[in-house]
Amino acid sequence: MMAGVSRILIRRLSSSQSLPPSVRCCSRNFHFNINGKRDDAKVSNDISQYPVVDHHFDAVVVGAGGAGLRAAFGLSEAGFNTACVTKLFPTRSHTVAAQGGINAALGNMEADDWRWHFYDTVKGSDWLGDQDAIHYMTEQAPASVVELENFGMPFSRTEDGKIYQRAFGGQSLKFGKGGQAHRCCCVADRTGHSLLHTLYGRSLRFDTSYFVEYFALDLLMEDGECKGVIAFCMEDGSIHRFRSKNTVIATGGYGRTYFSCTSAHTSTGDGNAMVTRAGLPCQDLEFVQFHPTGIYGAGCLITEGCRGEGGILINSEGERFMERYAPNAKDLASRDVVSRSMTIEIREGRGCGPEKDHVYLQLHHLPPQQLAVRLPGISETAMIFAGVEVTKEPIPVLPTVHYNMGGVPTNYKGQVITHVGGEDKVVPGLYACGEAACASVHGANRLGANSLLDLVVFGRACALTIAETGTPGEKLSPLKPNAGEESVANLDKIRFAEGTIRTSEIRLNMQKTMQNHAAVFRTGDLLKEGCDKMDAIYQSMEDIKTFDRGIVWNTDLVESLELQNLMLNAVQTIHSAEARKESRGAHAREDYQDRMDELDYAKPLAGQEKKSFDQHWRKHTLSTVDIKTGKVTLGYRPVIDRSLDQEECSAIPPAIRSY
Amino acid sequence: MSLLRVCAFTSKRLNTQLLFVDLSFAGCLRTASGAAKDKEPLRKAKTPQGRFDMDDEKPKDPLQKFPDDVNPATKEQGGPRGPEPTRYGDWERKGRCVDF
Repeated sequence: MMAGVSRILIRRLSSSQSLPPSVRCCSRNFHFNINGKRDDAKVSNDISQYPVVDHHFDAVVVGAGGAGLRAAFGLSEAGFNTACVTKLFPTRSHTVAAQGGINAALGNMEADDWRWHFYDTVKGSDWLGDQDAIHYMTEQAPASVVELENFGMPFSRTEDGKIYQRAFGGQSLKFGKGGQAHRCCCVADRTGHSLLHTLYGRSLRFDTSYFVEYFALDLLMEDGECKGVIAFCMEDGSIHRFRSKNTVIATGGYGRTYFSCTSAHTSTGDGNAMVTRAGLPCQDLEFVQFHPTGIYGAGCLITEGCRGEGGILINSEGERFMERYAPNAKDLASRDVVSRSMTIEIREGRGCGPEKDHVYLQLHHLPPQQLAVRLPGISETAMIFAGVEVTKEPIPVLPTVHYNMGGVPTNYKGQVITHVGGEDKVVPGLYACGEAACASVHGANRLGANSLLDLVVFGRACALTIAETGTPGEKLSPLKPNAGEESVANLDKIRFAEGTIRTSEIRLNMQKTMQNHAAVFRTGDLLKEGCDKMDAIYQSMEDIKTFDRGIVWNTDLVESLELQNLMLNAVQTIHSAEARKESRGAHAREDYQDRMDELDYAKPLAGQEKKSFDQHWRKHTLSTVDIKTGKVTLGYRPVIDRSLDQEECSAIPPAIRSY
Repeated sequence: MSLLRVCAFTSKRLNTQLLFVDLSFAGCLRTASGAAKDKEPLRKAKTPQGRFDMDDEKPKDPLQKFPDDVNPATKEQGGPRGPEPTRYGDWERKGRCVDF
């Protein structure tokens, strides 16, 4: 109704020139007319019958979560004409769910040094992280947190007014020898929410053009250089080509490839898929972090404190199965042992529920008073998310995905790289940051409170690199007039798809296959079977059926495009996992339980012969996909073991990781 | 403010639309407050939301705010309410673990 009124307004306003400019500006063409700045968008019929609008910008950022917003306003602040293309409103991005805190070696609670944070992160990554990127991140951490605080983020404070830092997992002092470090800065219990709102509010100060609810389809690549992005406006079905010299990918992770994940429905790995379709590799996709007790169906995680307070895990026979897997620790065993035990129980047919695909977490044998005092709010959580009365029924749980370490490979400056002839080569015009990128600071396993830090540091790094290497207002190189026609052809094909299998069925098949075959419990046979099943499911995408033929708010179309993206991520994940024959960090295999480095670091190094690059596994996986056949090709790239400045911060040589 | 004047000529159509919206909204309010007792109460499915609807009093937030928002044990100002979220090694809030 309001749209109808506004259209009348526009027609009347545009006809009457005597009205003041402020009134004329309030027209419905919100997307192409921000703050009165008329963007030289031209409509053409260059590719197919869909009208295409061409925009020219100095920089385009795809995604508006923590990393995307930081990059977008960093660029606007530097004077670049920036567009931010996002399929969600910025404050609805998944960053909002990160309630914890940010790590930074500010030294407010005790004497601290960023080199100790560097050591902790390198160790946490199981020596798969690139030490120059980790050096960059941990050194910039204090400055980044102070910058956020200057932007207005309301961190919690100590009595003296400094930022309060609390202890959180994996952080130590004096290179692991000085006890627990207090580095995690938080904003009450909603740090991610506050971060997102602070960054969004700050970005409105600069004139970034936001293109909200525009689904980015593909990168516009020409001669190995990225010249922009082609996107589809979900609101009115128009196609937009955003031409620019610098494109930043900040699209987040791809949790939705698994049946049980904490991610939003919109975490579909769009950036990874765009890069794959452009023929570039993705890095380390097999490293996916799991949490043992996520609520079945909802995907929310139940705290380990439930088991700490006496909760037990039971299978369909009512047996406390952890006694068999960890006779001493029982339910208090470490996360990976618990996750693996749960998966083995489910695989052996002792799962609960109609599909026997989860186990139960029982808390009703504990006194209700104790539960209410020690774990306040748990009865509310269990009722809302699982629909159970926690004092009477058990909660259905299963291992759940919550983070993807892998993504688009970049160097420490945020530039996307490929590996050609044994050397890292920068892809001109393309950058990536956030969970979508793999810098790689998290390596094989991410430490808690490091991911929010990763967002702000590398979002800023992308903006700084672009500002260093380019100037605002640079003339764009010419682009072929039919650039992006394959993307539009694909869109058209999906819009009018007449197969037999629905999108939701293919998606569920993929999610269940990934959950059964590429989850916590990984062995050669299981992964091989999973690879074959995933290849078949990839082929079944040819038979997809969509129902909505419209072009305005066609969610069937958008979900099918997202499914294409998820599928690319899923096949790369499972094939990379099948190929990696070792256990490292989050990738744990039953048949290869040890880490396989170039030297055996468990024994004295003197007299050992270094294994050749092909024989050890301390290397990054680079995966590419042939889009038509779904065949995954794997390559490898060495880990960067030097820090940025050996004198300032010496690199940490590999060692056995034990906590 | 000139915008308001411009909008005025379309307000007639707007008014009727708004009135209709207003009436239906008022209607919803009456049913929610329980004033329509003569009618059969709406049977909600046994969903978690349905169970909350039956209960008239608002459930108290299990996590109480600290006096002056200062945690008495750690002297943290503006920190998370309730027991320390990191006490079990992960970030716990109302039984849920948050990953970040």
